[in-house]
Parts: sequence; structure tokens; C-alpha cells
Amino acid sequence: MKVLIIGGASGLGAALVADCTMRGDDVHVIDIAAPVEANWHRHDMSSADPAAWDATGDWLATHGPFDLVVLSAGISATGEFEAIPLPDHQRVASTNLTGPIRLTHLLVAGGFLRPGGRLVFVASLSCFTGYPGAASYAASKDGLAGFARALRPTMRKHGIAIQLACPGPMDTPHAARYAPKGASPKGRMAPEQVAHAILAAPARRFAIIPGAGPKLAAVLGRIAPQTMTRLMGRILFSKLR
Amino acid sequence: MVWFITGASHGLGLEMVHLLVARGERVLASGRRAVTELPADFPDCAYHACDLADPNAVARLRDWAAAHGPLRATVLNAGAGHFRPLTQETAQDIDTVLAINLNANITLAHGLRAVLSGGRLGLIGSVAHKGAAGMPVYSASKAALDGFGRALAEEWRGDVRVRVLHPGPVATGMAERAGRKPDFADRLFLPPRITAAALLRALDAPRGADRQTVSFLRVGMHRLLRGTT
Repeated sequence: MKVLIIGGASGLGAALVADCTMRGDDVHVIDIAAPVEANWHRHDMSSADPAAWDATGDWLATHGPFDLVVLSAGISATGEFEAIPLPDHQRVASTNLTGPIRLTHLLVAGGFLRPGGRLVFVASLSCFTGYPGAASYAASKDGLAGFARALRPTMRKHGIAIQLACPGPMDTPHAARYAPKGASPKGRMAPEQVAHAILAAPARRFAIIPGAGPKLAAVLGRIAPQTMTRLMGRILFSKLR
Repeated sequence: MVWFITGASHGLGLEMVHLLVARGERVLASGRRAVTELPADFPDCAYHACDLADPNAVARLRDWAAAHGPLRATVLNAGAGHFRPLTQETAQDIDTVLAINLNANITLAHGLRAVLSGGRLGLIGSVAHKGAAGMPVYSASKAALDGFGRALAEEWRGDVRVRVLHPGPVATGMAERAGRKPDFADRLFLPPRITAAALLRALDAPRGADRQTVSFLRVGMHRLLRGTT
């Protein structure tokens, strides 16, 4: 099976690469840094350089089509919205949303997804709970969810499953970077566990929410969205400001 | 106290400006059309032409609006989109739609926070935020705006009232400009003036959810109870 992991050099992406390599997949990675063990292409998802995107398109044409693609690269910016420098917000939006849409456009228009395959967007539990204290990040992840929902019926006709992974807090360098200062990593899920849930998910399922705690939060967020966001404001934003 | 409205040279934004000026409000309007290309009956108010796809132009618009503060309300209404599947999109158009519908609004909200204190911020989304199969990029941008407003409403609660308002399909010609062929469904589209009035009322109301859908039911109720104002 031919696999492509965007953001495969660290965190959840690296865990996916390790898992896929172990089961004998032919693993390819796009990242800004070298992955541990995989054929890789250097590309910054926030890039506005047409030449860089052309090069990525050529690389996809050489190495595709793929049976499984996971878009796992992402950054955040946490704190009071107006206290975060504007360029940081814009970089979050381009890395987490514009870049993945551009890459998906290359994959779909180029026919680099094999029928019967899966395309998985890594969003966040924030799609269900809201995320005061990370407004641009929440925007980018909800944007991915809207994009995936809109894309799904069309792609299903071509035999390609579109899925949305919504993990809660993970024990990764990303989480440590953006959590409130001094927050305990207790309760954060191991990226290996999330990687496993993504790989094991049946293609007919749309939202992949690993873990019992995050599943409960997602259900509550669906029943009472505003109450859930206010709760996030109380327990998280108050510590970030 | 001043209102600031983007996307005011067309459609819903233009209707909102008409309504507000008729009410006697002071309005700062911005749109993509040059001053000379505005409709002859454009209301008497300050106007700043801006291409929201250009970050430098957005920064100038932000400074212009901020200089006229404090603002009673800001309505970030401008939007762009194409009715077409992903395979027919171009890289350039993907960048432009996201720049207008998301990045420009992030810049404006960020820069106007100080002059908005005690006021309100309306973000005009779309019912397509739930994922409309015919327009994946537009859906993504409006879903992003929804998540942005959801977070901001909580962050600014108690000082700036933030609301994301999702109108249904409105007969503003945007759907045709977006590449959708007119068909029987267009006759069912929402009338722009009453939809604009319903959106302003939803933003003005002291009570209400942070994110609201303003589609057929709400607009129909508005017409029944209040007519076209």
C-alpha cells in the first residue's frame, strides 16, 4: 500500500509513518524537516511560492497515486487573539487551511488518489467544542471540516473516502508548545494511539475521534455547542490570557 | 457612533448600508468597486474602495476604519466564491477566496479590537459552512469564519458582542457571478433587502446565540412582523 503523510517528521505524523512502515507500507512524506525513515519531499504548506507548489505537484506525479493520504501538518498560536502578532495568525491560516486545500487540489486534479483509497484531514476536537484562546487555529480546523464535508459526496463517486480526524490534546511537541504554561501533560493522548485509531478506522466512517474522553466532549459539543465553548473559555482561555 | 461595513458595493452589504443610512446612522462603507463605479443611488456615506485579496490594501482599510473610531458596530460581510468542484478550481482562485473570506477578516478583527470596545462585531457567513458539495473551497472559508467567530465571541464576551450570522441563498447575483446557472431554485432565493434587515436585527438584538442561521424561516418571520425595515 502506498501512503503519503503530510507532516510526517514529528508528532502524530511521525507516529503514522512508524505505524505504516512497520506494517510494510511504501511510505512517503512531505514536511519542512526530514522524517526518521521515509522517502520525503521538502515543502512548507504555508508557501505562497508558485515554483514550490509546482515542484510539489511534480513530486506527487512521480510518486503517486496513493492509497492513503493523511494531512497531519499543523501549527497553532495560542493566547488572547489581539495579543498574538497578526503574522502568526496568518501563518496558522495558510499552514493549516490554505496549504491543505492547495495540496488536496493537486491530488484530486492530478488523479493522485487511487480509487478505493482514503484521504484523511487531521482537524481537532475544537471542531466540536470551539477553542477560545486559539481563534485562528479553530478557524483553520473548522475550515478543514467544512472542506471535507463538502468534498465527501463528490469523492465518494470516485471511490475515494474523505475522513476527518478530530483528536483531543496529544502528548506531542505541538501540544507542549501551545498549552498554557505549566499545564500538566496528564490526560493527553499518546500520538501512537491516535495514529492507530486513524489507520484502523473503516472507510465508511467520516469523523474519527480517538478516545472515550474526546468522544464524550464531541457529543456534548454537538448537543450544546455554546455551553461547551463557554466551558472551554472557563477552563482553558482563562489560563492562556 | 459609527458603523463599518465591508462588501458594501453589492448585494447584502449595499442593502445594509441603505437601511442604516435611512435610519440616520453614520456609516463607513467599503467595497471592491471604485467610487466612480458605485450605483447612482448609493447612500450618502464615507466610502473606501478595497481589494480584500491584497493584504496591503486590507491593512490600509483597517487603518482608515480605525481612524474613524470608536465603532458602534462592524459588519464583516464581504465574501467571494465559485460554484464549482475542486477539480475545476485554480490555485490562484483558492488563494483569493480564502484571502477575502478568512485572512482579511482576521486582519480587520485584529486591528479593530480597540475601537470596537463596547460595540459589536458581525461576521457574515453562509449556510454553506456546513459543507456544500458544489462549492468546497467556499464552504471551507465560511466554516473557518464560523470557527473563528465561535472562539472570538467567547474571548471578547462582556466587551465586544461577536455574532456569526449565516444567511441562506440570497438573490444578489453572487450565485450567478460564482458560476451557477440560474434555474428554478433562483426564484426561491431570499430577497436581499429583507435578508439584510433580518441580519441587522439579529446583530442588534441584546439576546441571542453567538452563531445564528438567518435563512428562510428567520427572513420570512421578519417580513411578516416588520416588513422591509
